[in-house]
Amino acid sequence: MSVLVFVEDPADELAAQALTFARGMDGDVTAFTISGDYAPAAWGQTLADLVGARSPRAVLAAGTERGNEVLAHAAAILDLPLSANTISFAPGSPPTVTRVRWGGSLLEQALLHGSTLLLTVAPHAVAADDGATVEAELVASSQHALAVAPTKRVGATSGGVSLEEAKVVVAGGRGVGSAEGFAIIEQLAELLGGAVGCSRAVTSAGWRPHTDQVGQTGTKVSPDIYIACGISGATQHMAGCKGAKKLLAINADGEASIFAHADYGVLGDLHEIVPAIAAEIRKARGA
Amino acid sequence: MALGASGTLFARRLARLRALVQAAKPTRRSGDVAARVRNEVTIVLGQRKLLQRFGPGLMHAFIFWGFLVLAPTILIAMIAIVDRDQTLPWLAAQGWYALLADIFCVLVLVGVVSALYVRKVVRPRRFAGSHLGEADLILALIATVVISLLLWHSSRIALGYNEWPKSWSPVSRVLSHLFGHGGGTRVLERVFVWVHVATILAFLAYLPYSKHLHIGAAAVNVWFGRTAARGRLEPLRFEPDEGESEDDLRFGAGTAADLTWKQVLDTFSCTECGRCQDVCPANQTGKLLSPKLVIMGLRDQLFSGDREAPLVPSAVPAESIWDCVTCGACIEACPVSIEHIDHIVDLRRHLVMVESSFPAEAEPMLRDIERSSNPWGHPQAQRADWAAELGVRVLEPGEMPPEYLYWVGCASSFDERARRTAEATAKLLQAAGVDFAILGPRESCTGDPARRMGNEYVFQALAEQNVATLNQAGVRKIIANCPHCFNTLANEYPDFGGSYEVVHHSELLARLVSEGRLRPARDEQLMVTYHDSCYLARHNDVLDAPRELVGAVGTALPMARSGKQTFCCGAGGAHMWMEERANPINVERVREAAATGADTLAVACPYCTVMLDDGVQSTGDQLRVVDVATLLVEALQ
Repeated sequence: MSVLVFVEDPADELAAQALTFARGMDGDVTAFTISGDYAPAAWGQTLADLVGARSPRAVLAAGTERGNEVLAHAAAILDLPLSANTISFAPGSPPTVTRVRWGGSLLEQALLHGSTLLLTVAPHAVAADDGATVEAELVASSQHALAVAPTKRVGATSGGVSLEEAKVVVAGGRGVGSAEGFAIIEQLAELLGGAVGCSRAVTSAGWRPHTDQVGQTGTKVSPDIYIACGISGATQHMAGCKGAKKLLAINADGEASIFAHADYGVLGDLHEIVPAIAAEIRKARGA
Repeated sequence: MALGASGTLFARRLARLRALVQAAKPTRRSGDVAARVRNEVTIVLGQRKLLQRFGPGLMHAFIFWGFLVLAPTILIAMIAIVDRDQTLPWLAAQGWYALLADIFCVLVLVGVVSALYVRKVVRPRRFAGSHLGEADLILALIATVVISLLLWHSSRIALGYNEWPKSWSPVSRVLSHLFGHGGGTRVLERVFVWVHVATILAFLAYLPYSKHLHIGAAAVNVWFGRTAARGRLEPLRFEPDEGESEDDLRFGAGTAADLTWKQVLDTFSCTECGRCQDVCPANQTGKLLSPKLVIMGLRDQLFSGDREAPLVPSAVPAESIWDCVTCGACIEACPVSIEHIDHIVDLRRHLVMVESSFPAEAEPMLRDIERSSNPWGHPQAQRADWAAELGVRVLEPGEMPPEYLYWVGCASSFDERARRTAEATAKLLQAAGVDFAILGPRESCTGDPARRMGNEYVFQALAEQNVATLNQAGVRKIIANCPHCFNTLANEYPDFGGSYEVVHHSELLARLVSEGRLRPARDEQLMVTYHDSCYLARHNDVLDAPRELVGAVGTALPMARSGKQTFCCGAGGAHMWMEERANPINVERVREAAATGADTLAVACPYCTVMLDDGVQSTGDQLRVVDVATLLVEALQ
């Protein structure tokens, strides 16, 4: 009985975990990668061809976005069930799997049918064997179903820090006053290696693009620190930044509701305070 | 023969229209006969809704009343075609009827000329997208009918055929001087009566094929219009009743086959006058939505016979469906009782529940309502935090219910600005010695935003949960300060087994003031303009109580668009959680408020509080946006 493990990147920790999970399933485990650029339908076809040629008992992949996508394509082509985000496997006929659903709020026990069992392994369901290195066989990608292929690669924008994942977010509101006024916000964000955010009032006024908007109807952020400059703290905005670990508010209006949510507050004109903070940081760094 | 041809064409079309109504989905519009008769008398006969715009309304009333008064002359003319010397017994010999006929011929012509003036010279924007050529043809037909009638009467007076004393026909008598008494006039008399009857028959045949179908459909549609709980949406059923199959269920309107018979009748009744479009806050601030074009698009799809093509986008563009704030201004303005919100919400329901296609930014709201029981995803445990220092009683399970349950709502529980309303309301109720309590963490979103968004499933889950909580607690009377909660609790929860006596906080507070249990000091220098909330004024007729409160604390300065003609703040229909394109509605409304010269913009809704306060920050006007309860509590101190 053979077990195949699809690995996208042999150096990836999650790939090692999938391999460890496969070894627990009792069988000859072979890992393989697919050559060329990522192409979900074509890779799914490659995998289906492999199942046709080798008739393995099971095919596994790490439960990453790509792992799930490629196995889903293969399952559709082979007309077999797929157990995604699996955390445990108990042999039997049919075997029983436990899988994670609804973002982790539910564990489901299911019977997995099929001549070849298809499953992806939920991240961190098992610890990778110590020192386990993945030796993967290289399989050529099927050119047959090449529906999607990269045509061009572009670098990430906004200095490489996305608003959603930034550890520091410096956000400006109506109090910034103009599109040009955001220069000081951008400078501070750059100094701190963070991203620039803004409130709805700012995007409505056309000072910043909607992609920068933090709030109920914009991006939800969860940085270590959120610096809100000239933002009143409307509920619609707070819904987007309540995941921040610490909130620093800079506002000229002492009545602004942002102060009710802030861990630290500075009452005053952001046009003086923000450059002053930036200057202090530069001084401390000796620049 | 002409009569036969015209009658056949008319009957064939009528059969087709009836088939469309019969094939439509069911909806309940029975009962309440007294209110329906009243609507027929005021809206149809009295032209009440048309006369909301006095000039064009009077113009239409002249033509409509003329049509009623002159209807018997059709029969008189037909009899005269067969035998010149015969006529309708009794009526055709009445002098007063001759006078009425003369007067209304003139009034109809005045109406037609005014209509042409409006359409050709004034050219209001509300006609954009309407069938203008069709309207011209119809006006020409009406003019031909009436002019030929007048000339026929005149020629008969000249020939001495007149059935009634000519002194009763001042206009026809004057015109009769155009004709001689000889054979020429005898020929003309025949020509006029033939032209008259032929035009009427042509009109009859053309009528049901044109937007002039409203002549017949409107009166029927008004009869079946909503008579009570106008803010209520028709619930969807997710389980088939006994004897039904799954196919009998509808999840909103995906194709023309999903429309209810009232919705089909709505489309028949539309005469494209554009009054709805003219008052629509989305349309007036540059959005794509025109309620008129929604109804016309649905009608075109119905008449095309295509019952499989998706209504969105082939009849109505998706964008316009999401522009709607469900404020109901269109329904209030519509002279023929078209209920646009039902159409738009049904289209949304299909998009949300079947296609899962809706503005992405609203997704967190739907998810948070489902998961956290409030649209912002705050922890439920913090719901009563605002009340902690005020010593407000939180009703625990098993405790004796208070006289009033104060339903605070999500906005007033969690939003910093709206919380002031909850605090003020609680303080006022305490000052007046009202026995009340709140549910605290056991209160959930009523489901209104999810329902208006089209997610009926989430709404019903919340409705059932809240009704269970309220019924278990033994609640009978509810105070709500949010008009959206108020509307849902009062008008929609009865569908889910929850019937309570619901008052808006402004109503109870106004009563406490009038009973002398609250005694505010009036400050004449406080210049207040009051903004009516759509869900309070238009959907629920609460107009006086907030005004009494404003009058009790300061000087009221009314806005041009107020009462049932109010202009939305921009947050209704789940728009509190959607992005707005084009010009913001709240800014438009704030400009109107600022133009009154007031220093205070009073509101009675937490959504309006937030939206208009945001608007004031955008325009930079010196206006304080504040709930009537806060104004009242300040006047007590």
